[in-house]
Amino acid sequence: MALPSRRLQWLAQAVLIAGCVGLDPGWLLGGFTLALVLMAGLKLLEARDRTGRRLVALLQLVGCGLLAAQQPDLLPSLVQLLAAVLSLAGLLQLESGQRLAWRVLLRRSVQVLTAALPIALVLFLLVPRVSPLGSGLNGPGARASTGLSDSLDPGSIATLASNQGPAARVAFSNNRPPPPQERYWRVLVHPIFNGNTWERDPRAETRRPPEPVPAPASLQGRDQIWLVEPSRFTAVPWNGQSLPVDPSLRVEADGELRLLRPALERRSYRLLEQPQPQEWQRQPPSWGDLALPAESNPRLLALGRSWAALPDMSARVMAARAFFQSQGFRYTTTPGTLPERNGLDVFLFERRLGFCGHYASAFSALMRAAGVPSRVVSGYLGGSWIEPFNGSSYLELRQSNAHAWSEVWLPGVGWQRVDPTRWVSGASAADEQRTAGLDAAGWPLARQFRWLQRQWWGLDMGWSRWWLGFDRSRQEELLQWLLGERRWALGWLMLAAVAACLGAALLLLRLQKREPRDRLERELRALLQALEQLKITTEPGDTLESLTERAASAFPALAEPLAELAALHRAQRYAPGGASAQRGRGYRQRWQLALQQVKRHRINAISHGSGSNR
Amino acid sequence: MANAVQPSCARCMRSVDVTRLGPVQTGSELRLGLRNLYVLPTRFGALWLAGAALLQMVGIQTQRNGPLLLSFLMLALMLLALHLTHFNLQGLELQSTEPRPGFADEPLRYPLQLRSDCRREAICLQLENGEPLQPQRLDRGITRVGLSWNCSRRGLQRPGPVLIRSTAPLGLFLCWSRWQPSWEQAVIPARRQGPVGSAGADQPERSLAEQRIGAREGSEHWHDLRPHRPQDSQARLAWKALAQGRGRLSKVFRDEETETVVLAPEPGVTHERALQHLSAAIWQLSQRGERYGLRLADTLIPPGHGREHRDRCLLALALTS
Repeated sequence: MALPSRRLQWLAQAVLIAGCVGLDPGWLLGGFTLALVLMAGLKLLEARDRTGRRLVALLQLVGCGLLAAQQPDLLPSLVQLLAAVLSLAGLLQLESGQRLAWRVLLRRSVQVLTAALPIALVLFLLVPRVSPLGSGLNGPGARASTGLSDSLDPGSIATLASNQGPAARVAFSNNRPPPPQERYWRVLVHPIFNGNTWERDPRAETRRPPEPVPAPASLQGRDQIWLVEPSRFTAVPWNGQSLPVDPSLRVEADGELRLLRPALERRSYRLLEQPQPQEWQRQPPSWGDLALPAESNPRLLALGRSWAALPDMSARVMAARAFFQSQGFRYTTTPGTLPERNGLDVFLFERRLGFCGHYASAFSALMRAAGVPSRVVSGYLGGSWIEPFNGSSYLELRQSNAHAWSEVWLPGVGWQRVDPTRWVSGASAADEQRTAGLDAAGWPLARQFRWLQRQWWGLDMGWSRWWLGFDRSRQEELLQWLLGERRWALGWLMLAAVAACLGAALLLLRLQKREPRDRLERELRALLQALEQLKITTEPGDTLESLTERAASAFPALAEPLAELAALHRAQRYAPGGASAQRGRGYRQRWQLALQQVKRHRINAISHGSGSNR
Repeated sequence: MANAVQPSCARCMRSVDVTRLGPVQTGSELRLGLRNLYVLPTRFGALWLAGAALLQMVGIQTQRNGPLLLSFLMLALMLLALHLTHFNLQGLELQSTEPRPGFADEPLRYPLQLRSDCRREAICLQLENGEPLQPQRLDRGITRVGLSWNCSRRGLQRPGPVLIRSTAPLGLFLCWSRWQPSWEQAVIPARRQGPVGSAGADQPERSLAEQRIGAREGSEHWHDLRPHRPQDSQARLAWKALAQGRGRLSKVFRDEETETVVLAPEPGVTHERALQHLSAAIWQLSQRGERYGLRLADTLIPPGHGREHRDRCLLALALTS
């Protein structure tokens, strides 16, 4: 079936439009991509000549590249690849000037792509990566769906609903998850307290991000590849102990990791784990980290101030721990609402029932009352370690893994994580129950779907680890391995590799073009070549019979094999039922024998000629 | 689609004159190779490069591998296309064959023979003063094509150089060569209605319509049926009549016989115009199957009829001084 190139280009356009789903038009690059795809569609509608249609193919290819910059996951990458192949096939068909059958077109597209790909890979691997120039394409878009909240007011929540929606996935280069007690993934920092609610800095999403710190080329550390679902914030989860490799990642002074890409889209990034404390941990506290409304929660204030007499800040933290462990606090997801006025007092001294938000909120307030700078951090805790059949193992974080804890500033140490929820009874059991509940919950069909989803995510994670993993530092490792200190040879190496790939590709393409597909034609060409060696060449209007007769009259000794070859070819070419019908009758042996006689005659002629010359 | 391509080719020819670069090859045949083929990027090639540069920039700014790889792939395709476009023409042999005469001011067909050792895509051929052929695929072996051109002068004329070019497979590069074939084409004066003279100054001028037509038995035109005789050829047997049950009948043919006229240029008309009138008259007489001769200042062609006679007369008109 032949497909006109216009229809093929429409097909590519449809795939491209499908690939645009999930783009954020508010971001500069997202808006530009959508405009480009729209232009390609309009041009395709309008184009009546080859020039216009060529332009459509180019716009589609550039559109694929722009999409690849924004959606590097497995499924979008497959969609982009399909769109690129279709637009290239449309261009090939357009330039061939004819309708090609699907099979031919597919073969030709794959041939051209296969020939170009090694060269592209050589350039991709060896051309030194350049750092981004400014931050023109980065821009936050603070819209989208649920997840964490920028304000934490546990007193207003009567029942904590368990949301099993996906939040993020993280894979580690050594395929081992961190121990459970270290699976704290911080996202938002809430330093502002008004007596009930812990707020995030209202300028956090709009403030100018810090300048990127160029990562040293030879970074060591375990890789983390993160895939994060859309959220409302540019802040993304991390463990607080890693170096960002992506220049779009910025670590704020309060320890939030911001990814300057549209939050509406699924995002992916790479981090390198570091053992030493990070810069944000050493940041000194501000007065705001001790601010506490004087008129609310008087009993909490009194308790905190009683610990302020302790000389060591660590001792004040330990005093708080002892308080929570000794007063019969229990973890529950249905604590009921707290009164608006002095809610934390009611929680601490009357009900003693709550979830992580209550404990983090109350503990941080107590610490401020005790003169220890503190704040609340929200993020995720734990996660399920998934080992799919294919792809890469990963830690799965769901929205139900959302958690809140505290951070206190200790002199000489800096900001330290303290999770007061761990001190109360029932917290660990609740965690286990949540995880087990997720695996067992739902209808059998839903469980099967979840299983399938996890397998796909495994593949997705494997792809992301491989695809996102090759960055400047990896390229540096590769170049170090290839060249060592002989960096001056990089240009020569690149040139030689490109030349070799180009030569091989052109040779293969030419051979494929010249080599007849038909076996009989190949055999006929071998015979014609053998005759050409004997200076017997074809003339216009020649048949094989007339050619072999002419050759036989010039070389009477070859009359018999030549007649045999002509007869065999005729019998094969016009055999009823096709050439294969004659296969089993010793055709090949007879053909080879006769052809060898012709070739041998040439060799004999040469050796006699050289002998006489001597 | 082909209709869409042709105007594009023509526009491309008008706007981009790079194909006039490079010397014109001469000779009765031409084998395209490194010495006579020229390659330059097309405007689309330049845009392609700009697209690759844009993706490279986006890849650098976002530090994403996707746009970087695609931009390198586009560069690799461009590098590959440079050679593939060249290979599409390299090794092709062009040979001109003797062209048949044609009329001035009418499309003339100039024959070419292309010999290829492999399959080639979208080859465009054009005479410099003619219309382009649609891009065509050449299979292995010999392909014969006729290039169209126009000429307003009679005589042995040589068309402008043949332009052969291709942008396949990706349209990123234009590869071309120009070749002046050695064969000249006889151009007959344009057919223009008007008075023609007859040979001999003492004969009064007569119109061709006044020719009297006679006839005798022959083999040209079917005339009648008669009973079949044993000595009659089976080829003349009227099979249709036999099938209709009318018995065995033979077809009788007659050759038309006209009073012959020897045409000559009309006195009082300019020489070239008179030749054009003669050209039209010869064509008409030939179409009607009449006998005629031709007398020119340096040539006398005795009366005759048939295609060969017509061509001889027309050629004489083309070549007369």
